[in-house]
Amino acid sequence: MTTVTKPNLATDKLLTDLHVKYIQNLGENKDDLMYHLTAHLRLNAIYWGLTALCVLGRPDALNREEMIEFVMSCWDEEAGGFGAHPDHDAHIHPTLSAIQILIMQNALDRMDVDRVVKFIVSLQQPSGVFAGDRWGETDTRFLYCAVNGLSLLGRLDEMNKDKAVEYIQRCRNYDGGFGSSVGAESHAAQVFVCVAALTILDRLDVVDVDTLGWWLSERQLPNGGLNGRPEKLEDVCYSFWVLSALSILNKVPWIDAEMLSSFILSAQDPEGGGIADRPGDMVDVFHTLFGVAGLSILGYPGLVDLDPVYCMPATFIGARGLRKGWQALSRRQA
Amino acid sequence: MHGIKRARLTEEEREARRRRELSKIDEFTKLSDATLARKKERDWSRDAFDLTTLLLQINPEFYTIWNYRRLILLNGLFVNVPAELVKDILLDELGMTMSALKAHPKVYWIWNHRRWCLEQIPYGPGQESESHYAGWKQTAWDRELTVAEKMLDVDARNFHAWGYRRYVLDSMPNPRPESNELIYTARKIEANFSNFSAWHQRSKALASLWTQGKLDESKSREDEFELLRNAMYTDPNDQSVWIYHRWLVGTESSREILEREIVAIQELLDEQPDSKWCLESISYYKRLLLNKYTSEVDVNVLSEEIRSLLDRLETLDPARQRRYQDLRKRKRVGTDLQQKNW
Repeated sequence: MTTVTKPNLATDKLLTDLHVKYIQNLGENKDDLMYHLTAHLRLNAIYWGLTALCVLGRPDALNREEMIEFVMSCWDEEAGGFGAHPDHDAHIHPTLSAIQILIMQNALDRMDVDRVVKFIVSLQQPSGVFAGDRWGETDTRFLYCAVNGLSLLGRLDEMNKDKAVEYIQRCRNYDGGFGSSVGAESHAAQVFVCVAALTILDRLDVVDVDTLGWWLSERQLPNGGLNGRPEKLEDVCYSFWVLSALSILNKVPWIDAEMLSSFILSAQDPEGGGIADRPGDMVDVFHTLFGVAGLSILGYPGLVDLDPVYCMPATFIGARGLRKGWQALSRRQA
Repeated sequence: MHGIKRARLTEEEREARRRRELSKIDEFTKLSDATLARKKERDWSRDAFDLTTLLLQINPEFYTIWNYRRLILLNGLFVNVPAELVKDILLDELGMTMSALKAHPKVYWIWNHRRWCLEQIPYGPGQESESHYAGWKQTAWDRELTVAEKMLDVDARNFHAWGYRRYVLDSMPNPRPESNELIYTARKIEANFSNFSAWHQRSKALASLWTQGKLDESKSREDEFELLRNAMYTDPNDQSVWIYHRWLVGTESSREILEREIVAIQELLDEQPDSKWCLESISYYKRLLLNKYTSEVDVNVLSEEIRSLLDRLETLDPARQRRYQDLRKRKRVGTDLQQKNW
């Protein structure tokens, strides 16, 4: 494939309009094989896209009715949860996406909340962790999905909170971080899910703030990007996993915000919009959200505040009385 | 899209790609629709099973199809067949997921399906009273350890493979002695000191062996310090080594060990005066010393030494300068060390 050389397009500023257009066009890519091969992530992708649009200040850029209809078409009547796509099986991750999307669209009344709560609660295991679905894969990611979803629905008391905290405690490592299961290596994404779940459960006392703050701050590499584990490569999505945990611990200043901002901006596609894992790579909606989310926490001018605990616009979380004591950097003026 | 380079296409190239993809899209959506339709009809036939094979070869992330495949096995292919045949089908499944894993080593659903298959392997051959009754299970689980290790030969940091390996070790019918982990992790570490996944696993294995009294803790700690000494000198900028060192020293170390390690790292620092990790580690162990042995040390001298280390770190590592400043500003510089002991 030949590469068409274009003049060097600047990526030192956030290309908001291009990103909005990129997200709007995602549903129009039906000629693209990748669109079809990612059907198993469709509901998650809509959550990523909508949240990114909200943070970019363009919450109405996608058709509300169509979106709500699509969410409801993913309902799995047999299991009582949401799949990622019509006719796909219910799973806790797309179920959380459905809850989040409906809240952002003020349409939670469309959902059978009691059944969804029942589905989520049924996935808690005797150890306290949650399975993703009836097939039993367990992971602290699913524990977070459960805690986040139940909290948004105001039904946190229906799960066994003490057992969940106990399980997270068992996943804690001496470096202050957390793994996906007991005995697993600390990983920034798992640190996010565990710390955010503990925050929602009001049990941040479990976290060794100084040790974890140290480990998280050491994720920043000389090029400004963040990695997810020691001696690994940087990736834009860790901007959010690491930053969200740092903001919950009130330690965002422990990394260099300017260097990280530049790194995220350099991973933008200045022609088609969207953000990639690192500069020069193909963009996708996942990295677009987590890039924009990172920039919001870093106080990038013009962006809307993101709640790092729930990874949703802060206003929705505040309105439900769920705001915890996290601290992002102050929003800078353009 | 992790790690896929962005290509700028001309209009013609884009059109050519679109045409090429069109037939693939058509094939995929037809297959996908047909398979999901059969799932709705609760079709547990061999035909339906073969459709899932085709579909998963194209898209191993299609979790609903893995779920359907397991339902076909449970409700169709396993029904009224002898245990030996169930075992053979499951071994075929393991073979099929092996080729999927080689192409997609980080797809959660493939690893999950593998676990499920392993757990389904029936008892046999023979009767409960016979000695080889768990033979099929044992053979399968033993082989899984090799599979996980082969995946780690390809990518020594693959956390799916490490997690799977831990799962196999914890669940296999004839468990390996935990001391084997010391040999395995030593091999991985020697191949590459930066492999923090291996250091991590080693810390877990050692802690467990010490707790169970299967290993002389103080002697084995000294062996680990020796191993670290080599690693530190090989690459003083490697985080893995320093993080492991911090674990090894722990929070309960004697004053002697703390002081000895400070001296040892200081020697390396003298050779590499700009080594951030030497400075960071010395300042940490001095804070630990100050915090833990307050009445035995000269608080003023030690505090001043810590402050000066933090000053140097601030200059040397400006990205994290606020952390060093925060530590320096504390009323007593040792008071950040409330690390719980676990």
